[in-house]
Amino acid sequence: MLEFLLALLTTATVGALLVPLLRVGTHRTERLDSALAIYRDQLAEIERERTSGAMPEAEAAAARLEVERRILAAANTSDSTAHAQSPGFHRFLPPALALVIPLLALGVYLQVGRPGLPAAPFSAQRSAPQANPDEPMSIERLLALARARLAETPNDPDALSALGEALVLEADGTVTPAALKAFDGALAGRPDDPRAQFYRGLHDAQSGDSRAAVARWQALEAKSPPDAPWLVMLRSEIARVSKAAGLAAPPSASTAMPQPSRDQVEAMQSLAPAERQQAIRSMVEGLDAKMKENPGDRAGWLRLANAWKVLNENAKAADAYAMADALSPLDTRMLTDWAEALVRQIEPGTAPPPAAVAVLQRLEKAEPRNALALFYLGAASFASGDKAEALKRWKTLLALLPADAPIRAMLEERIKAAE
Amino acid sequence: MNRHLLFLLPLATLALMAGFFAWSLLAGRDPASIGSVLVGRPAPRLEVKALREAEPPLTDALLKSGKPVIVNFFASWCTPCLAEHPLFARLAERDGAVIIGIAWKNKPEEARAWLKRLGDPYKFAGADLEGRTGLDWGLSGVPETYLVDGQGIVRRHFRGPITERDVNETIMPFLKGAK
Repeated sequence: MLEFLLALLTTATVGALLVPLLRVGTHRTERLDSALAIYRDQLAEIERERTSGAMPEAEAAAARLEVERRILAAANTSDSTAHAQSPGFHRFLPPALALVIPLLALGVYLQVGRPGLPAAPFSAQRSAPQANPDEPMSIERLLALARARLAETPNDPDALSALGEALVLEADGTVTPAALKAFDGALAGRPDDPRAQFYRGLHDAQSGDSRAAVARWQALEAKSPPDAPWLVMLRSEIARVSKAAGLAAPPSASTAMPQPSRDQVEAMQSLAPAERQQAIRSMVEGLDAKMKENPGDRAGWLRLANAWKVLNENAKAADAYAMADALSPLDTRMLTDWAEALVRQIEPGTAPPPAAVAVLQRLEKAEPRNALALFYLGAASFASGDKAEALKRWKTLLALLPADAPIRAMLEERIKAAE
Repeated sequence: MNRHLLFLLPLATLALMAGFFAWSLLAGRDPASIGSVLVGRPAPRLEVKALREAEPPLTDALLKSGKPVIVNFFASWCTPCLAEHPLFARLAERDGAVIIGIAWKNKPEEARAWLKRLGDPYKFAGADLEGRTGLDWGLSGVPETYLVDGQGIVRRHFRGPITERDVNETIMPFLKGAK
């Protein structure tokens, strides 16, 4: 409705502008005519005064001459302006602009405008959080929730670390003594609680021991599953604190990746997604070729493995991990990545091949409660007929899984089948 | 006279200012540093009410105990104070530093609540509600921290929050050396 009114208003304005603009030519001649009419009157008056004797003959002649001179001048200026201003151009420019500008606006609006977008007045935005009781970021609510959980189950590590986190949020990000107590309680109940570990590290950093903070965080990073949701935040915190404290940047697969130059990034962004994928692939293939020439570069193999894994080329990734491992044995985190690349190649329902089993066994040895190793080694034991071993692994895994883990049902089914 | 030259005047002014700003940025000068006249001189008068209830007021004697002290001006409304607070907590707890905290232009009940929440690292705490002590000490704002040796001489004046580096490179050597 409003759009319609605005369009109507624009049309009326353009119309009101166009009518006088298109008549501008006649105006100019009218002005000359009216000037001439005045001069004619003046001549008639001079004539009248001369005949009535009010003006001497010589003066009347001089005055007439003066008026005649003015008439000539008026005709001259009218002529010269008309010639100098190339009448066609000046006649049509204003009306053309008056038409083109609204049309251009209409075109731009049709291109980028979103008439269906609902209005978003400021007052509505401010009152929205209060109107919504499920607002997740209210600190009071988080505190109340954690305290309620603690009242139900005192010393529950989860509830304690949730309480600690809420206290930190309440103190604008400072780990207060009360929060610290909550985290220590959580860690006493569950020594590898990632949230409590993270905030203990944050406390170390805030109280001036960045080295201890980074060490704690790196241990947490090594223990975290590769798809843990906190990894991105954790890595950026490690980078931030080590940079502020002047510590050496931590070696990490993601940060050791050679960074493409600014031009390359810009060139990438201008490509279509399929082309971009192709460009990334050709870069990785370039790295692959370089590694074949220089196979002693362990860090290079790890970079390549990571790149292939990201591109979902799991067989190539596994090969690269094997090359790096042959140079010097991989740590737990890398073993996890390697094992992942291997098990991603397994057809669902079949047993893992011996190569994968060997890596998984090393992983299990390094980290007895690794979920990936427990699940697939269980499957390997089951396939080789060792049902007791399979059940032991799967039951351990089941106990480790959170209650709402999506694979829980599948695992329970397998256990039932094995029993 | 060529009047066009007059138009160059604002441009020349602009170029002059840009040059100064560029020099300020690039010459490694710290624009936040306004120096301190106190360093190397006896600490100013300390005469301030106690922040915590039922404690005697703070006096000059605290600064001349023969032991180094850290004097920290803070306020519960100041965010940088929040950031440096855990560092003082550690200095007090692990390193046994004597820290005098003065709540500057801060209502005592608010400062007390703030300390209750974040922990209280101050062996002595004063309440300078009107900012008079701050004036004596040449305070430009909060937080500011002074290192005072056992003879009552100011050895260092930090304007702004202290950092981990300040603790490791300046405060810890000061505490050890001045003992």
